[in-house]
Amino acid sequence: MRVEFQDIHKYYGWVRANVGINLVLEPGRIYGLLGENGAGKSTLMRMLAGHTQPSKGCILFDGEVADGLNPSRALNMGVGMLYQDPLDFPALNIFENFLLGGRKQAKKQTLHRLRELGERFHFSLPPGEKVSELTVGERQQLELLRLLDLGVKVLVLDEPTTGISITQKEMLFATMRQLAKDRGRTIVFVTHKLAEVEELCEEVIVLRRGKLVAKLQSPFQSDELIKLMFGSEHEGIGKTQLRPELGKEKFLQLQNVQLLGDKYTLRDISLQIRPGEILGLAGLEGNGQELLLRGLAGLARVGKGRLIFDGEEFQGRPYLKFRQAGIHFLPAARLEHGLFPDLSLVEHFRLAFPERNGDHGQLLPEEGIKKFSIQAQLSTSARALSGGNQQRLLLALIPTQTRLLLLEHPTRGLDHGAGQQVWSHLLDRCRRDAALIFSSADLDEIKAHSHRVLVFYNRQIIADRPVHSLGVEEMGRLMAGQGRAV
Amino acid sequence: MFQAARFGLSLGRLAAALFISFVITTLILLVAGAPPLHSLVILFEGGLGSAAKVTQTIAVWIPLVLCSSALLLTFAPGLWNIGVEGQIILGAIFATGFLRPFPAGGTGLHLVGALAAGMIGGALWAYLAGVLRTWGRVHEIFGGLGLNFVALGLTLWLIFGPWRRPGVASMSGTEPLHHTLWLKGLKGLSLNPVSLALAILAIFFVIFLLRFTRWGLSLKAVGQNPEAALLFGLKPNRRILEAMVACGALAGLAGGLQVVGVYHRLLPAISSNYGYTALLVTMLASFRPHLIPPICLFFAVLNVGSIQLPLQLQLDSSLSGVIQGVLVLAVFLVHGLEEHFRLLRRKR
Repeated sequence: MRVEFQDIHKYYGWVRANVGINLVLEPGRIYGLLGENGAGKSTLMRMLAGHTQPSKGCILFDGEVADGLNPSRALNMGVGMLYQDPLDFPALNIFENFLLGGRKQAKKQTLHRLRELGERFHFSLPPGEKVSELTVGERQQLELLRLLDLGVKVLVLDEPTTGISITQKEMLFATMRQLAKDRGRTIVFVTHKLAEVEELCEEVIVLRRGKLVAKLQSPFQSDELIKLMFGSEHEGIGKTQLRPELGKEKFLQLQNVQLLGDKYTLRDISLQIRPGEILGLAGLEGNGQELLLRGLAGLARVGKGRLIFDGEEFQGRPYLKFRQAGIHFLPAARLEHGLFPDLSLVEHFRLAFPERNGDHGQLLPEEGIKKFSIQAQLSTSARALSGGNQQRLLLALIPTQTRLLLLEHPTRGLDHGAGQQVWSHLLDRCRRDAALIFSSADLDEIKAHSHRVLVFYNRQIIADRPVHSLGVEEMGRLMAGQGRAV
Repeated sequence: MFQAARFGLSLGRLAAALFISFVITTLILLVAGAPPLHSLVILFEGGLGSAAKVTQTIAVWIPLVLCSSALLLTFAPGLWNIGVEGQIILGAIFATGFLRPFPAGGTGLHLVGALAAGMIGGALWAYLAGVLRTWGRVHEIFGGLGLNFVALGLTLWLIFGPWRRPGVASMSGTEPLHHTLWLKGLKGLSLNPVSLALAILAIFFVIFLLRFTRWGLSLKAVGQNPEAALLFGLKPNRRILEAMVACGALAGLAGGLQVVGVYHRLLPAISSNYGYTALLVTMLASFRPHLIPPICLFFAVLNVGSIQLPLQLQLDSSLSGVIQGVLVLAVFLVHGLEEHFRLLRRKR
């Protein structure tokens, strides 16, 4: 089936997830959809699979406009999506899963289909086996068979190689080739791993900040793809304010620290930070930056090692102690994790500055709103604020005595001007001897503001370098696992 | 997190909900073979028809208001304190236990002590549910429900065991308190000024806490976003425990008042399901304290009036419960439909 995207726009409130995307996908080809986190890949594919509708523009299947898609309609029209987490029922066995999600047909026939499809692609899926006993790769195979049984013509795979073995990956790739070549299926392979795109795809589509920046034929140049994905050093935020001077003493030290997160563990982290220093964390999502920031904020358990801040050792201390010591963390999802959606600005100030209640009343919030140019009333609820105003509110709520700022994607979803404002405030703080550690998916931002950069890959810090010795392209290569560790 | 109390209750919505529940109730009455309008008239006359009936209604209104205002405190941080029922029962048990050593009677001081004991009992039971939630990761609905059964079992064991009436142990409860330990009503009526004053005081106290104190604000903050509350240093777990304890104390007070002011003894059904009814009231009021008194009044009228149904129409008195339940469902339905249409409009 030929799929055509015509001038697709998608907005989530103030965030522009997709902007003016025009794209044609032909049958029998394997496409790679490449882009960093938040570039708009998933949004585009979710629209194709009917999970959300475009704000503007339309999708055409074989030249016909497909309006008002929902997941079951998209599936009926032949679009199947293989999600990162398989959509199955772990408590049931393979056969029952296949039966439940599949076509309506007799049990015997279904069993026959399952065997036949399994043999064709050399998957070993015994019908009686419990799905909860399977590996992620096997569950993916089951899901794939189910979609094929339903007769999908367009198959979207969302980061399918995370968490599966090398053999399983090779089998998956062989299946993809077979499906495209012999059966004329359109295959879209969503990923941020360059090597896999080079290995499998005939064409690659690169998205950056919601826009389609390139559509290239194989063979691909890694360097070029990296540049397209992450942008070059000369655009975007680029040259900004001067970096603050560094203080002398090392006021944060980590010695062989082990951080225990909910999902994974970071081992053996050692680093030092001086007052005024800005440390950028580069890495694809899920590679460890999140846990390091939370660990430093007192939100993750410290397993081994020593964490010393301002001469005081912090060993598995609760969050509040970290906060009182002058450490402040701002999460990436501002409204979801950082603010109280239905409480007003005044109420936020009252909660954030308990010691200044009573005596000041409205004065403090008024000052804050003015100083941070938050465009809202005192009684506006956080939910009604734009992304930029939410971030400005969060900055306004940081206690003055804060000495270590930990920020996750400080300018994500903000436009250029709002991002500049955020940075000018942050730099101001650092000039007054605070230190800053931030993560960002925008390598230009890291390059522009950091003194030093840590690169994460595979849940390890694989580079800790002064910013002048590390270009954006090399950062991108290291993040994608294409460089040697330093 | 499931936020039950997020939607408001405007007059239009209330009218729509009342209309829906009126239609459904009429249908149910028709199926039961009763004259629908006449039954409703009897129901309301039964609750408001005479001075005696009005005072009976107020006697029901008091524990309902106490428990509903108590539940406002736990709804604020997003808790479903279904265990309020057991907290009333524990209040009754503690109050009874406090007064048992004085079979020859006592003074007002003893009554104050009994009510304080009731508050402690309710608070303790709520604290257990809170600890289960914050430390044991048992959702407060399951913890509370379990504790309700334990409380009921405890009552029965006391009535038939250690606290049984000499000679006869029966469902009619423990030995009545000495008459000097009764919280007296106005002459011959079941209207009890002290209980009434306590209920009115409670609702104003809760409004004050939630509207004007930082503590109340932080409870709301915890309900809105526990993660952000943690980041703001608001200690969400401690706030949850405090809200539970405060709620349990008020529910325990209601239980204590049932003992000293209404039944003068411990009964198996001492809580009269007022806890569950109060949950319905609080859901209907959806966070708005000023709606609690009128809704409680309405529910109390239904409760008292329904006693007339079996007498005059051979209908079961559970009709009042049906109407209450239907009303709550209708409000949720109206809200759900509204949301549905709003989403549809947005998609267009």
